[in-house]
Amino acid sequence: MTSPAHQARLKALADSMKVEETDVLVLFGNNWHADHLRYATDFGIQEGQGIALVRADGTTTLILDDAAEADRARDETRTCEIVYAPSLVKEARNLLSREGNRKIGAAPFHLLPYGLLHGEKDLRVADGTNVIERLLMTKLEIEMDAVRRAAKLADEGYAIFRDAARPARKDYELVAEIETFFRTKGVAENFMIIGVGGQEVRGMAPPSGKVLKRGDMVTTELTPCVDGYYSQICRTLVVGEANEAQKQAFAVYLEAMEAGIAAVAAGVTAAQVAKAENDIFRKYNLGDYVTSEYTRVRGHGMGLFPDQKPQILEDVHIPLETGMTIIVHPNTYHPAVGYFVLGDSLIVRDKGHELLCGTPRQLFSVTSH
Amino acid sequence: MRRGLMQWNPEELPRSALDARIALLREALNAEKLDGLVVYTNIARGAAVAWLSGFQPYWNEGLLYVPTAGGTPVFATALSKRVAEWIGSVMPVGEVTTTPKPALLIGQQIAKSGGKRIGILELDDFPAGHAQLLLETAPGIQLIDATNAFAKARAHVDEAERNLLNHAARLADAGLAGIDPARTTSSQDLLGPCDEQARKGGAEECFATIAPDLSQSASYLRTDTAGPLGTSFAVRSSLAYKATWVRRARSFTSDPALAVRYAQAEAALAAFKAPESGRLDATIRAHFAGNGIEVRSWLAEQPRGGYPLTRVAGSNQGDDVWQAGAPFVLDIELSLGGTRWLGAKLIA
Repeated sequence: MTSPAHQARLKALADSMKVEETDVLVLFGNNWHADHLRYATDFGIQEGQGIALVRADGTTTLILDDAAEADRARDETRTCEIVYAPSLVKEARNLLSREGNRKIGAAPFHLLPYGLLHGEKDLRVADGTNVIERLLMTKLEIEMDAVRRAAKLADEGYAIFRDAARPARKDYELVAEIETFFRTKGVAENFMIIGVGGQEVRGMAPPSGKVLKRGDMVTTELTPCVDGYYSQICRTLVVGEANEAQKQAFAVYLEAMEAGIAAVAAGVTAAQVAKAENDIFRKYNLGDYVTSEYTRVRGHGMGLFPDQKPQILEDVHIPLETGMTIIVHPNTYHPAVGYFVLGDSLIVRDKGHELLCGTPRQLFSVTSH
Repeated sequence: MRRGLMQWNPEELPRSALDARIALLREALNAEKLDGLVVYTNIARGAAVAWLSGFQPYWNEGLLYVPTAGGTPVFATALSKRVAEWIGSVMPVGEVTTTPKPALLIGQQIAKSGGKRIGILELDDFPAGHAQLLLETAPGIQLIDATNAFAKARAHVDEAERNLLNHAARLADAGLAGIDPARTTSSQDLLGPCDEQARKGGAEECFATIAPDLSQSASYLRTDTAGPLGTSFAVRSSLAYKATWVRRARSFTSDPALAVRYAQAEAALAAFKAPESGRLDATIRAHFAGNGIEVRSWLAEQPRGGYPLTRVAGSNQGDDVWQAGAPFVLDIELSLGGTRWLGAKLIA
């Protein structure tokens, strides 16, 4: 048994291996970078590390170094051989040495375990990024469906978040409510950071125990995962009524996000989308705040990894392609009100985009219940 | 990713405890004639850096360099510049730098200090890209596996760690305490509150999993794949509080005839005490024997290196690395007259 999305991915991977003349593809992963493993095996690794050996004939071996994870993989994935090996690298080297002189590629190459490449006898393993990177970025129709479902849960999750945010609550209690909601909806993973306060807040991070008080801005990005695929929403709310400065700031971010989204279409580069967003900030003399001093990216791709290529930045000239799933978020520090976020996920289409988020684009106000 | 409370509380983890740990590490590095140790961290392998510094990344990766001769440890992370201040607030040890290439910065530090014999924790698992960059940036250095040297220092379990472990165990217990098999409708409805209890109590992470039908399988599944509940099921909470990990698992049944036996097994697990020395296997089998109970399998885990918990003994291997006197997590499967029962608990 395998899911239709996994079947479609396996076919795409086999085709790509053929094009790149790769006989065996070695994919490495863990709970941080689970995407490569998930693509080929449909297994969402939670603890330990794993290596998948994908052969050109379609047979796949998944090696896991955590016994409970190996048991779970045997229950969840029926298309590959599961091997539990406390010494992951040793087992992978043993299996690879049996592949003879076949052409071996591996990804993500920089994260591969040192011992896999270097040992008593160095293995000849090439960088296999080209085999899989484009597949991770540009989704098949069936993959987009999972991203749509994740986006719907992101909307529902944000409604829970808004309801949970009220004076005297601690930031991590809000996270607890969101996580409870996601677990009951079958969402095993969620990327989420939060910011609470005012002008002093320079970014988002995990909760640190801050207590919400009237006048605080509460920023968050929620990124639930459905069938392995992530979708994100970014919103800002104010505890109590928003003041004039906060309303004016919101207007800038809204204009920037909408400018960025309006620029999205197949063939447009990530740089052009970033420029569309950043030009709005420049128009309001806020150009300093779109630099790396204050912001990381102006959006990014999403899929089996919550923050994948292409990064939406003015120096990233990757052309957008139909089927890429991205978020446009002009998140950055605002000198008058502090760190501010607003972002919607979308699918790149030939002549524009398909918007995935349904939460109103507004600066929410929450009062005590 | 870690998304629960992440905060350094000096009362829970005093700076003096961290200093003592680093001193122990330096002693072990000296004994191996190593000039320093590089430790890798990400969310899957963050335990060693957390033990030395109190910090674990919520996402992304980093490298901690501890020079043997003394001086401030250096932490380089690919987390973005905006969170450097936050890292400083939750990481009491080390000088923090954010950089897209952590190995480049650490390599420069090593080159500057003249270090040649550089220990790497778990060299086989160390990311090859970082190793390559270290070798290029600090020409002439030797990368030496220092897993055993680290383990010597890590064998020290201080009061702060014991207290954090006990607190984590209480949070995990609380997450399972509210489960009523007679009132539960789905696997997902069970896992939600388990996670909620943990995170509201300040856990930074909770992996709540379920073996939804013990008559079919002993595998713990996540909320995205767990199927309908059977008459008997088991829930396992793997939980981190201030980077200190425990597991707690309990079995539940809606069959009144089985409930008494399940309660007896749970009581037996609660009463289990580790031997002061010797083999765990014999102690476990002797403790759980009788009344139709049979030990099907067991596993002991302790923190030893980069992973939060490492398998140190089990029914399928000898007690080769189990450290007597140190807390461990016991995960066990029993047969109660042919009926499967699963449990897990911190044995402190």
